[in-house]
Amino acid sequence: MSWWLLTFSRRGPARYLSHLDTQRVVQRTFARAGVPIALSQGMRPKPRLSLPLPLPVGAAGDHELAVVEVPEGIEVTTATLKALREASPPGFAPEKIVDAGERHPRPQPRAAEYACVLDGDAGALTAAVERYNETEVAVRERVSPKGTRRLDLKEYAGDVVAIPLGGGTEVRFTIRHRSDGAARPQELIDLIAEWAQVEPVMRGLERLRITWE
Amino acid sequence: MRPRIVLSYPDVYEIGVSNPALQILYSQINDATTASAERAYCPWPDMADLMRAAGVPLWTLESFAQVGECDLWGFTLPHELSYANVLEMLDLAGVPLLAGERDGEHPIVLGGGPAVANPWPLAPFFDAFFIGEAEDRLGALVAALEQDGREARLRTLAAVPGVWMPGRSTGPAERQVFMGFSASQPVLRPVVPVLEAVHDRAVVEVMRGCTAGCRFCQAGMWYRPVRERPVDLVVAAADRLLGETGCDEVSLLSLSSCDYSGVTEALTRIRELRPGLRVSLPSLRIDSAAESLARFAADQRGSVTLAPEAGTQELRDAINKGVDEAQFDEAVRATFEGGFTGLKLYFMIGLPGETDEDVLGIARMAGAATRLAREIGKGRARVSVAVSSYVPKAHTPFELEPFAGEQVLRRRQQLVREATPRGVRVAFHDVAASVVEATLARGGPGTARLVEAAWRRGARFDGWSEHFDVRRWEEAAAATGIGLGEPGVGRPSWREAVDARLSEGFFADEVERSRAGEPTEDCRDGACGACGVCAGEIGMDLIA
Repeated sequence: MSWWLLTFSRRGPARYLSHLDTQRVVQRTFARAGVPIALSQGMRPKPRLSLPLPLPVGAAGDHELAVVEVPEGIEVTTATLKALREASPPGFAPEKIVDAGERHPRPQPRAAEYACVLDGDAGALTAAVERYNETEVAVRERVSPKGTRRLDLKEYAGDVVAIPLGGGTEVRFTIRHRSDGAARPQELIDLIAEWAQVEPVMRGLERLRITWE
Repeated sequence: MRPRIVLSYPDVYEIGVSNPALQILYSQINDATTASAERAYCPWPDMADLMRAAGVPLWTLESFAQVGECDLWGFTLPHELSYANVLEMLDLAGVPLLAGERDGEHPIVLGGGPAVANPWPLAPFFDAFFIGEAEDRLGALVAALEQDGREARLRTLAAVPGVWMPGRSTGPAERQVFMGFSASQPVLRPVVPVLEAVHDRAVVEVMRGCTAGCRFCQAGMWYRPVRERPVDLVVAAADRLLGETGCDEVSLLSLSSCDYSGVTEALTRIRELRPGLRVSLPSLRIDSAAESLARFAADQRGSVTLAPEAGTQELRDAINKGVDEAQFDEAVRATFEGGFTGLKLYFMIGLPGETDEDVLGIARMAGAATRLAREIGKGRARVSVAVSSYVPKAHTPFELEPFAGEQVLRRRQQLVREATPRGVRVAFHDVAASVVEATLARGGPGTARLVEAAWRRGARFDGWSEHFDVRRWEEAAAATGIGLGEPGVGRPSWREAVDARLSEGFFADEVERSRAGEPTEDCRDGACGACGVCAGEIGMDLIA
């Protein structure tokens, strides 16, 4: 058995895939390309693959990572990548495969940079971003079925920049991934939009870069 | 210019994309005709509200074109509780609800699928209906679209065999039967959804039609005669489909796949080609379940569904469900001995001639299955029971039998609930939804007013319990004067629109036999029941 690191881009219609749907796309792309994925043991074997940092629904990204285990004797060749590309659905494009060896590489994200466009008063948005960068604490509540968690966004999200464009304001920011988790892009944008009094609707959300440990 | 066709299933994408009929039509129109086919499904209500607020009309998934601008909009109509969604989709597309209000700017709206067995409740909303299997007639349908102008197109369409056009056809349309089925290829390059669909697997239709002769079953009558595909073709298709789709499961589809003459050979050969592959056989028949389950047990786990349908031998004989207690016992034993840990039993209440004793029999059978689950399944096995309400359908022997009605159904649900042993989970179909279904299943001309009134009061996704609200239908009934769930029908008005090729004499005989508790043989290997379907070029096409 060996572990492969597959980098791929997810754009166009594929950006609306959920995490589980993206996993299924990877699995079926391998099956269509004739590249087997190792299966787990047990009553209902599952393909051994994971996406260590799932993209939010609606987000595009290049250089995204999937970790896939393949059975013994399967080697990475240029033909493998070509076959995977040909078997991919629209918007999903394998970029590179690296054989990481027999041990699971366990990639851990440290930070990820994002960009999106917000509509509304560009001056107000720029002021809201400046306010965020200057404030020391920005506590938000995350409500889930498990309960309510208080989260200081300043510990998880920084480097926020507002760039006025012709049709909106581009907001760039970095989400830091810590041992206790990470903020969601929407949580930061909700705060900025609230301060700027604009709709918190991210257009064209894109993950620009991931820094791995 | 290439005629543009949009194909729709009146439910959300996740349900509609699994519909095999739509996959066949999509594939054949695009591959074998001069037309192009795209797809559109019914947006969930929150999305529909947003589309209306933003002024965005319904679009096709392939090219994002406006559905209302195509030449022909074809709907597969699966069941009565989807009717309000048809109106919802027409409205979202900006197409006038009434066919009579459409002009050259609008598509021709064509209905097909099993629910057109009685097209009356939707008649004013459709320009035409296609009755039966369309594979042989797609060329003629597309040729009609190549005519200039709406009137010329409709006129040409009206002459296509199987087409019934409300207000234009002078007699019923004869149900079309695709006799090329056995020699034809299944869909080999289907649309593969990237979202999880309700049936997320590769599908090979191995057989069409069923001659078991269950007297309540519309599909069993509607899709006659039985036609089987050769095993070589099935195996090659399964292998190719798995490669094309990347699926890890294949379904050998039919109304009763255990009756497919090549089932053992096909299963064996597919598993030799693809070791470890999951193969599903929908619709296990109890009388052959023990043998089928033994074939499965080697590498299949999970749950099994068996459908005794009725709780006593007398009632099973009356509905021609040829299953006895010994076969049931054997099938349940085979389930748990084969390592399956779940058994779901499917019953109906409200069948013609049903008594309280028959209903209590459901609880007795559930109890017997539970004892075997404990004895063989050693605590791991579970039994659950699903009880639905019988709704008489057009073109079945019971088509003129009375609907049991809300009060009777609710009381019988309570009987089952109280008598079922502890530890057995029982689920009931919503009686109110069955009342609406019963009203539409045999509704005559004029019932369309009820559908429109209910939709205007917010009815949509009535097949979804979280959306179904009977008050909308009750208000619509009050507004239109059409009674909900009335027991009888005066006349079989569906025969004025649809000739299903089934003889009225056969139905009369079946009703008599039902009252006498007499079975009718499966004509596959027994005597011909003279149902009327086999005539001329139309007949059974078996591989053995």
